[in-house]
Amino acid sequence: MDNKHYNQKPRRNAELITVPNILKAKVGSGGLSDKILDRAQDLLESHSEDFTPLAEIYLSRMKEAINAAKSSEIDSNNLEDLITDILVPCVQLKANGAMFNYPLVTRIAGKFAQFMEVVDTLDNQTLDIASAFHATIKIVVAGKIKGDGAAQGNALVHELNNVCMRYFEKNNIK
Amino acid sequence: MTYSFENTKILIVEDNKPMLLLIKSVLQSFGVTNIVSALDGEEGFHKFCSTNPDLVITDWMMKPCDGVELSRKIRNERKSPNQYVPIVLMTGFTEKKRVINARDVGITEFLAKPFNARDLYKRLHRIIEQPRQFVRCEGFFGPDRRRKSPETYEGVKRRRSDMADQQSSDVKITDIDFR
Repeated sequence: MDNKHYNQKPRRNAELITVPNILKAKVGSGGLSDKILDRAQDLLESHSEDFTPLAEIYLSRMKEAINAAKSSEIDSNNLEDLITDILVPCVQLKANGAMFNYPLVTRIAGKFAQFMEVVDTLDNQTLDIASAFHATIKIVVAGKIKGDGAAQGNALVHELNNVCMRYFEKNNIK
Repeated sequence: MTYSFENTKILIVEDNKPMLLLIKSVLQSFGVTNIVSALDGEEGFHKFCSTNPDLVITDWMMKPCDGVELSRKIRNERKSPNQYVPIVLMTGFTEKKRVINARDVGITEFLAKPFNARDLYKRLHRIIEQPRQFVRCEGFFGPDRRRKSPETYEGVKRRRSDMADQQSSDVKITDIDFR
């Protein structure tokens, strides 16, 4: 016992509580059949809800946030908030695109979200890349490009990815 | 024999109406008939208190009150009718630091968006078949955050009970008969 460092985090008195499993008591056992799950999946894939009005709201918020960052004097006090303002509509597009049959929007917005989670500055170069992502997603939505966009979709994602990789290399971000 | 959700009540909190309808229809296809819905965390907590559902499925990013704040209220506010209710948090965020922050308010399961019907079912199945104990300690109340079994857990052991385990394995105090 004497080989322990003095600087240890204090032990916490954790009370463990076993909660009655009310849900199990109500639903019983056996799970759900593949047939039920397939039917639920069909519902998700075949609904006809229009994604474009929602996407336009998020795109417009994203554009506003990019413009706000362009016209702001950025310092350590507002940097995180400005990044978050761009990131949030981006994450919304990523989350909702594929749910409304726009998986290419999810893919592009997913890359954009990863980019925004990594950057630690909002200089012109960073904001130019953000604008490029915004413009690309806007084109996909305006063109109602459902599905994965096939070879052109792959080429778009590939090119945006290359831009990000060059940025990381130039700014020595790993 | 399959699950019967007829006697269950599920609260969905989602500010995006088309998405809310989508989740509702998936749950209905699972056999859930009693679904309560709300469009933000504030309304969600109000509905939670008035209907006392068996499960809460909530989006993260909502205004004025988001899903994390809603979960904090459910777990900690005095007027919460069931602090132990399972909470599924839906989110487009997948970065570890953000997910960990949300986990620390007492989320039971995360559901990354976009998701498919089986993803949602898996979370429900885990809640039903593998419920986690609740932990109450200084600074945290919620489902046990250690998802791995104790044998495979490699993180820092900070609970006093861990120390007891360690002592018992070190010196076997409990094996000594003092009578």
